[in-house]
Amino acid sequence: MIDLLQTLGSGVLVGLVYALLGLCIVIIFKSSETFNFAIGEFLIIGSFLFYTLFFNETIPWYKALQLGAVIFLFFSFILFYDKNLRLRIALPLGMVTGFLIFCVFFFGLKLSSLITSSFLRFAIAFPLGLLAAGLFGAMVERVTIKPLLGRSPIAMTIVTLGLGFFLRACVQLIWGSHAYPFFLDLPDITVEVGDLLFLSDPIWAGIISLIIFGLVIAFLFRTRWGLAIRATSEDQAKAMAFGINARFILLLVWGISALCIAVAGIMISNFGALQVSMGFVGLRAIPVVLIGGMDSIGGAMAGGILVGICEALAGAYVEPLGLVGFKAVAPYLLLLIVLFIRPYGLFGTVRIERV
Amino acid sequence: MKKRTFFVVAFILALVFLSYGAVCAKEIKVLAQFPMSGPVGSLPEFGWGFIDGMNWVNGEGRGVNGKKITWYLEDFRYDPTVEVANFNKYTAEHSRDELLIATGYITGGLKPLIEKVNVEEKIPWIEGSYSTEIWGEKGGPSKYPYYYSLGGTYGNQIKLLMKWIKDNHKAKGKPRVGFVYSPTAWGRDGTPEGIAYAKKLGFKVVAEIEYPYSATAATNECMQLRKAKAQYVVYHGYSGATAHTAIFFKTAKKILKDVQLMGTHYTTLRFTILTGQEAFDGYVGVSTRPIMDAVPRIRTPMDNPMVKLAHNFAKKYRPEEYEKGLKAGGIKEMFLYTEGLMYAFLIQNALTDADNKYELNREGIKMALDNMVWDFNGMFGGKSFSWKSHTIPMLRLYRARVEMVKMGDKMVPTGGVVPISNWINTDEIKW
Repeated sequence: MIDLLQTLGSGVLVGLVYALLGLCIVIIFKSSETFNFAIGEFLIIGSFLFYTLFFNETIPWYKALQLGAVIFLFFSFILFYDKNLRLRIALPLGMVTGFLIFCVFFFGLKLSSLITSSFLRFAIAFPLGLLAAGLFGAMVERVTIKPLLGRSPIAMTIVTLGLGFFLRACVQLIWGSHAYPFFLDLPDITVEVGDLLFLSDPIWAGIISLIIFGLVIAFLFRTRWGLAIRATSEDQAKAMAFGINARFILLLVWGISALCIAVAGIMISNFGALQVSMGFVGLRAIPVVLIGGMDSIGGAMAGGILVGICEALAGAYVEPLGLVGFKAVAPYLLLLIVLFIRPYGLFGTVRIERV
Repeated sequence: MKKRTFFVVAFILALVFLSYGAVCAKEIKVLAQFPMSGPVGSLPEFGWGFIDGMNWVNGEGRGVNGKKITWYLEDFRYDPTVEVANFNKYTAEHSRDELLIATGYITGGLKPLIEKVNVEEKIPWIEGSYSTEIWGEKGGPSKYPYYYSLGGTYGNQIKLLMKWIKDNHKAKGKPRVGFVYSPTAWGRDGTPEGIAYAKKLGFKVVAEIEYPYSATAATNECMQLRKAKAQYVVYHGYSGATAHTAIFFKTAKKILKDVQLMGTHYTTLRFTILTGQEAFDGYVGVSTRPIMDAVPRIRTPMDNPMVKLAHNFAKKYRPEEYEKGLKAGGIKEMFLYTEGLMYAFLIQNALTDADNKYELNREGIKMALDNMVWDFNGMFGGKSFSWKSHTIPMLRLYRARVEMVKMGDKMVPTGGVVPISNWINTDEIKW
């Protein structure tokens, strides 16, 4: 019984992180019917942005300069198409932001020399890192997704596939491919009762993922912006007719999604180390959303926990029987069973299409 | 008529002369393949070492009795299919008289190439894998005559760890050993031999766990080991440069507090100190090479001539990368650089021996390798030995010593893997 509780508990904690990944896929799918295959790369970049701020990791001047220049170009030529605005707002804004980016990447944020408490440092670097990740997601949407608005969602989905390869190469060029040590040193909240043991890092991961999940839901269901997002998800044309800026909504959704992916990336990196190859973790979101339902936020939570538990149970009870490696296959087997019974996932909307 | 005949004869003679010249001017070609990227991390150091080594060989080293070596370097991204495809491509594109020697680096690439290398091509193949299946009791030179390994087999590495347990086990009862290995040809190689030997010594093998590269957590694996009351855990088939190794060590340190963590060659490296930090402290591992790198690098003992030579090479030919160290684009781990360098020196030695004593062709090189007696630039405490078993049978045990110190505004790990045994020739051990 204790073993079962231990296994279920561990599965739920990891499952909460998976749920957050699932949520990122769901909100993008709901708003644009696009599946973001670059989720793994978003995860790595979000984690690296946080890493830069928290661990004061710097990069050589020529790389920092390139990043600064990219930001400047983005603000100057992509964000604003109006020539007057470009000169008055976009150019100065681009220069300031580009310079800031250069400074942060080249000199570092120096948080560790200013604040000795690692928890306080985390409390400052975490929102900053997430904000950076969110802005990065918005930038990516503006450059790659916005030009495709009005085209088939398949086109956007395929773009995310190519985007994944491109971003991965960028990460390797900037940070290299080796593993970076990742120790958040959050307060130890390990739970040990008799034979039951839940380590501090997975508990923190579960708690933070749950909080972020809750905040996103609160944002979607308790704010005007959230209402606008939901309206756009229901029917983009109608929402636009009611005066909702659907293009901005899409930008917002990609930003929120990138932010949530970064949280999952940071939590998973804290279990071990940060490395570009960790991007494959993002693909865990596939069984999560297909089991839960591609367009169901609650389904993402259920799917995440189910996948986490399924992996844990397979690892604890099936693998020792001799079926080594079954843990990696188990979520997909579960997915197959779910799809046989409910093709749109457990909580997905059943769509009746005329053929 | 006479004039025409004269021109025809002259033309034919010119053709014969030219073709003879072309035959005489055949090149000496070498194919080297290393896993410089892929799931084992980014390891360009292999290539840098090899490039610097081959450039030195062709320059100051005077090539093969003055003849230059044409070398090809490929990154097979830790993918056996790429390694095999590269080899097939090069053997198809280059003649047998020219492509004289090839190298590889992973167990997964060896098996599909058995026929091609040993029967069809009959080309000497120098390998970084320590496969037990190929060089162990059931393999060896009689079965795979063209395969040569640069280190003791994984089976022998794990057996040596078992011997260490036998000599150092102080708790009551028989030692309880758990095995954690990767679900790859690498991870599965040597583990059965290690388990059989543990049982032969009377140990209790309490767990066998496959821990995948795609792991996001190791809690279940560690809880399984805790439940099984393992006292020793052998972690095999993983590079220390990866996130999954960091996950395992960080989790194991918390869940398996009194358990002795152990491992084979590629975990007993500097990388694990950096990614696992304090969690790696106390680890006991076996390695086929001397210490290449401490943290910080300046603390690396330079009493080993090959280690010293490699560091001097890196300082001379890659000063920027050497200086950068752990930063992107730096030489993160000197073992990898040294390995590339060692391949270059070994290839030059084998080719020169073949040219001097036998013939400069594949068979001649094989004979040169079979009869080579070399101290590998003093790498193994100055011991020279022959390569008759087609492996370098030298192994050494190390213990990781890691200490966190404040450097500037950061806490950083310092330390290294410290030898706890002399060099052990596994050919001389009766298991």
